[in-house]
Amino acid sequence: MDRYPQSVALIAPGVAIMIAAFAVPVAMMLSMGIHGDQGFTFEYILAFVTDPFYLGIGWRTVKLALIISVVCVLVGVPLAYVMARGSRRLRTFLLICVTLPLMTSVVVRTFGWMVILGRNGLIADMLFDLGLVRRNFSLMQTETAIVIGMVQVVLPFMVLTVLGVMQRLDPRLEEAARVMGCTFVGSLRRVVLPGAMPGIVSGFLLVFSLSASYFVTPMLLGGARLPTVAASIYEAATKTLEWNFAAAQSLILLCGLLLLLFTYSLAARKANG
Amino acid sequence: MKRALFTTAVVLASLQSAWAEEKTLVINSYGGPYEAVQRKVIFEPFEKKYGVKVQVATVYSADMLAQLRAQKAAPQFDVVQFSGGQEIVAAMEELLAPLEASSLPNAANLYPFASEGISKGYGPVALVTVMGLIYNEKTIPQAPKAWKDLWNPAYDGHVVLTDLSNTYGLQSFMMINKISGGSLENWQPGLDQVTKILDGSTVITSTQEMQQNFAQNDAWIAPFAQDYAYVMRKAGLPVKFVQPEEGGSALYITMNAVKGRPNADLAAKLIDFSLSPEVQVELAREMRYSPTNRLAELPADVAGEVVHGEGLQQLIRFDPATVAGIAPKMVADWKRTISH
Repeated sequence: MDRYPQSVALIAPGVAIMIAAFAVPVAMMLSMGIHGDQGFTFEYILAFVTDPFYLGIGWRTVKLALIISVVCVLVGVPLAYVMARGSRRLRTFLLICVTLPLMTSVVVRTFGWMVILGRNGLIADMLFDLGLVRRNFSLMQTETAIVIGMVQVVLPFMVLTVLGVMQRLDPRLEEAARVMGCTFVGSLRRVVLPGAMPGIVSGFLLVFSLSASYFVTPMLLGGARLPTVAASIYEAATKTLEWNFAAAQSLILLCGLLLLLFTYSLAARKANG
Repeated sequence: MKRALFTTAVVLASLQSAWAEEKTLVINSYGGPYEAVQRKVIFEPFEKKYGVKVQVATVYSADMLAQLRAQKAAPQFDVVQFSGGQEIVAAMEELLAPLEASSLPNAANLYPFASEGISKGYGPVALVTVMGLIYNEKTIPQAPKAWKDLWNPAYDGHVVLTDLSNTYGLQSFMMINKISGGSLENWQPGLDQVTKILDGSTVITSTQEMQQNFAQNDAWIAPFAQDYAYVMRKAGLPVKFVQPEEGGSALYITMNAVKGRPNADLAAKLIDFSLSPEVQVELAREMRYSPTNRLAELPADVAGEVVHGEGLQQLIRFDPATVAGIAPKMVADWKRTISH
C-alpha cells in the first residue's frame, strides 16, 4: 500500500501524455460525429445506417476483414507450429522472413502488389501463358487483390501472436499423445490446437481489427469502385471535407470493433470459469 | 574570451537585423516540378532584379484559401496562386487586394479572358491548362478526336476514368456530362453515359495512378490534362494530348495579391513578372502550360503540344462558383454510380 504513491508518480508522465496527445483529441474528434451546428444530433450516424450505399460499404468491410482473418489463420497457424517445433536456426530464419516485410513501408509494398497484380503483371502473364485468361485480365481493383495485399500486411501479427502461445506448449504433451496411440493429425487436433486456441483467437481479433481499419492498401488495390469504411472516412475527411460525417463513420467503426473485443473478453472469462 | 563572444553576438545580431530589412515576399506554389520551374524562371530572377527575397511555401489552392481565411486579421502571404477558381470566393470575402491595371504593364497584352479578373478585384490568369484526351499513340488502334470517342467500343477495356474527388476527374466528368446532353443542374446524362462504359474502364483516384495505368496496365485513352500528358512523355511513355473537337475545358491558374500586406507594389511587380512573355514561354516549354500573353511566341515543338493563341479563347470554362456549390452532391451521386 505504501508503494502506491511512487507507482502513481511513475506512470503519471505516461498517462499525462496519453491523455493530452491521444484521449482528448480522439474524444474531440469522435464527438464531432454526434454534434451538428445545433448541438447534439444523431443525423450523421443515421445518414450512415439508413443508407443502403453505406451499409453496403460496411458489409464489404466486415466481409473482407473476415476473409483476410480466416486466410491468416490458415496460413499463419501451421507456420507458427513449424517455427515453434523447428530448430533454433530454422526459427530465427523464419522469424526474419515473417518480420522483414514490416521494415518496408506499406505504401511501397502495396505499389509492388499493383505491379504484380496489374494487367501486364506477373500473375496476369502467367495465367495468360497457361491459357487460363484473356489478354487484358487483371486482378487489380478486385476484392481478391485487397485480400492478397492485406494478408501480406497483417500476417506477421497473426504468426507472432500464435508463435508466443505455441512456444509455451510443452512438446512432451504431444509426445505423450503419440505414445498413447494418437496419430500426428490427431495430436494436432486434440493437443496443439486446443492449447494454442487463446493465441489463435487473439491473433484473429488483432488481424480482424487491423484489416477493418486499414485504408491505404484497400484504396490502392481495390480502387474507387470498392470503397471500405476506412477509405470512406478518408474520403470524407480529406476530399469532400464532411468532417462530422467522417467522425460519425469512425465512431461506428470503433463501436463495431469494441463490441467484438467485448464479446470476446466475456466469452474468454466464461471459458476460464 | 567572454568579450570575443559578446562581440560575435553583437555582430550576429546586427547582421540579423540587416537581413530582416531586406524585403521579403511570401508566395505559395504547388511543390514538385511546378514549383521547381517557377523558382527557376520567376522567383530567382525576380530576387536578383529587385533585390528582394521570395519565400515559397508549398500550399495547394483549397488549403491556401482556408489559410487566407484564417489569417484574415494578419495575413502571412503577399501573393497567392489559385488553380481551382478560389480567387472568386476570396475576392468576395475581401481577402484579396484589387490590382491597378497601371501597375501591371504586361496585362495589356493578355487575352481578354485572362485580364478580366483585374477589374473584378482579383488577379490575372497567368497560365492555363486544358482538359482533353490523352492517349497512347503506340497501342491505340486509331487516334481519338472527340470526347465521344471515349465510348468507342474499340477502346473497351482500355479507358481510364478519374474519380471526382480529383479536380481533373471533376472537370472531365463535367465535359462528359455536357457532351451527353447534361448541364450543371442535371448530371444524370453524364452518369448514365459513364455507367455504359464503366465495366470497360479503370477508375483511378490520384494523378500518379494515371501514369501507372499507361505504363503498366495497357491504358489507351483517358480524359486528362495537357500538362500531365507531357509529364508522362518525359517519363518515356508514348502519350499524346489532343484537344477534342467539341472543345476542351480550361483550368486557370491565377496570381492574386493579398489584402493588408505592406509591400503591395512589389507584389504587383511579381505578378506582372509572371505575366511576361519570356516567363510564360518557359512554363510552356518546361511544363506545357498554355501562355495567356499574346506576345508569347512558342517554339514549334512546344506549340504542337499546347493549346495556344486563338484556340485558348474557344475553351469551355465551368463557372467555379457554381461548380463549388454542386460538387458535393455530384461527387456523392458519382460514388453511388461507380461503386460495385
